[in-house]
Amino acid sequence: MFELPSGAEIQSIISILKSGLGFFIPEIYLSILFMGLIILDLALKGRNKSGILGWATLIGLGGSFYFIAQQHAMQAGEHFFGMYVLDEYAIFFKYFFVASGMFAVVATLADRKFDAEVKSIGEYYALVVAMVIGMVMMAAASDLLMIFLAMELVSLSAYILSGYFKRDARSSEAALKYLVYGAVSSGLMLYGFSLIYGMTAETNILKISMELADHGYDPLVMILATLLIMAGFGYKIGAFPFHFWSPDVYEGAPTPITAYLSVASKAAGFALLLRFFYIAVPHGVSPYEDILGIDWLTLLVIMSVASMIYGNVVAIWQKNVKRLLAYSSIAHAGYLLLGVIVMDEIGTQAVLFYLLSYFLMNYAAFYVVVLISNRTGSETLDDYRGLGSKMPLAGAALTVFLISLVGLPPTVGFIGKLMIFSALLSKGALYIWLALIGVLTSVISLYYYMLIPLNMFLRESLEPNEKSLNPGFLAQLMMAVLMILTIWFGLFFEPLSEFARYSSAMFGLSLY
Amino acid sequence: MSNPTYTAIFYLFAAITVFSAAFVVFSRNVIYSAFSLLFTFFGIAALYVFLSADFIAVTQVVVYVGGILVLLLFGVMFTNNIMDTDLKTDVLHAIPGTFLFLGILAALLFTFYTTNGWMPSDTQLQGSVVERIGFETMSRYVLPFEMASILLLAALIGAAFLARYDNGGTNEH
Repeated sequence: MFELPSGAEIQSIISILKSGLGFFIPEIYLSILFMGLIILDLALKGRNKSGILGWATLIGLGGSFYFIAQQHAMQAGEHFFGMYVLDEYAIFFKYFFVASGMFAVVATLADRKFDAEVKSIGEYYALVVAMVIGMVMMAAASDLLMIFLAMELVSLSAYILSGYFKRDARSSEAALKYLVYGAVSSGLMLYGFSLIYGMTAETNILKISMELADHGYDPLVMILATLLIMAGFGYKIGAFPFHFWSPDVYEGAPTPITAYLSVASKAAGFALLLRFFYIAVPHGVSPYEDILGIDWLTLLVIMSVASMIYGNVVAIWQKNVKRLLAYSSIAHAGYLLLGVIVMDEIGTQAVLFYLLSYFLMNYAAFYVVVLISNRTGSETLDDYRGLGSKMPLAGAALTVFLISLVGLPPTVGFIGKLMIFSALLSKGALYIWLALIGVLTSVISLYYYMLIPLNMFLRESLEPNEKSLNPGFLAQLMMAVLMILTIWFGLFFEPLSEFARYSSAMFGLSLY
Repeated sequence: MSNPTYTAIFYLFAAITVFSAAFVVFSRNVIYSAFSLLFTFFGIAALYVFLSADFIAVTQVVVYVGGILVLLLFGVMFTNNIMDTDLKTDVLHAIPGTFLFLGILAALLFTFYTTNGWMPSDTQLQGSVVERIGFETMSRYVLPFEMASILLLAALIGAAFLARYDNGGTNEH
């Protein structure tokens, strides 16, 4: 029979929960913001509801920076009985996800398609915030149960957001495809988790690591579990061969959501991937030989190479800009995986820096795509012809962002790729061929990225009318700032790379 | 568990679960699929009992059979013309799909039968576990519990949004 715990035991549980609460303030704030937005949506009536809600979300998310900044002073550690950790790494991703949520709101406010397609915008912003909460949890979860719940929160919000244009058949198709693939991959991931649990009888990743190191593990089970878990993580980061959803979803979803998914959701996947494989898998001790020399690292190498080649090669034939950027995001997942493979502090720093640079250039590129489609109503490559003379600033800005995505100097994308490749090379001769593949596929990517400026500047419009398409003062200003930032951080990358290095410290990490 | 009667009953329920689940997928009629799902849920509840997870078994029956399935059937019956609609259950990519299925199945079965590194649980279960589950939910697992509530709220909002009638466009235009 169950005996009620003694009073002292209950007191200790309460005190642990209470002390954990102090380390959990940004998440509580975001949850309150989430509910507040729903209530605000109910209370607001009238014409400019979308604008007010959007600005409220923006300000609300911005407010959470204050609470996150306070966490720098706190001691790294586990909270809530090992469910949740606070460390520099988690704080980095808190900033990252809140900022990406804010940028999604900015892009939404700029997107005119929402006025025509969407009748009720209230849920939209609430779900954007819910997704931020989920991603923040993903980056800080240290328990298999929390990892699963956080991933599901992100996925569920993303399904609805990608299908937000209810009357648009392609948007609904995107949501449904995303849902079906997501359900299958999280089912596979749970199977992998259950195998891990079967081997260790623990769900906390630190304890899993200890159990595996103490008692050893059956290599067959381990590789099978890794494969199944990678199905879940790979789906989130959109890497080959778990990428099948991404072109259709990226094309059909509202463009701000496409940008949000391609940056934030991918980064959340990487946050989880790094933490899981760096902490839960024991390093330095190998009581068993791995099957045929294949371990989780080999799987990641295969995925990375396949993603880089597949994403960059298939992108060449794309005619839709959103689809093109979808394939390019598969390739970028491959580059990021290269940084994961390095498995040391420089590698983690390179991944975090690359994520920051990817945040800037990819969001900015999608922002320009939104502005152009506001004016032309189209996202196909042919309709970009001659836009360079009609929207000179947008054309110039998009060219800068695409050069950054290729990884050419003097942009932030160049520094990101440079850090990844130099981290690989510093690891030794074994990794040179990986860096070589990375460089070669970057050269391929130059071709398809440059198709867009080619159409904009060098080809004449099919219907020549000389009226200029001004996207508005605020949008011009925003583009100019983003363009300057992309080049600025390409020249003066020191603060970003220092921040990435500071943030590469994970709680309970014995790898470096 | 070495008792042959136990084994026989286990395989009976396992067979019910697998075959009714297969019927759910392959049937071309929604109503048949929905009713077949009933047997799947019951079969899984029985399998939970074999794992001494009596609380989860009861929850499975109450929530899935009593709640979700009834809602599903209502939804199906209230939808116009759904009985006449022939579901498309064509198999796409039959050959790679079969290979993938057989490969995964073989890998899993091989692993389960050749591995003996499983970690047995320390705690022996005796009597009812309901109180223990309640206590653990409110102490050790209180954060996932709260997380689940946010998850459900987001899902609820999304479902309400998707289900709402929308003739499109804002009223401003």
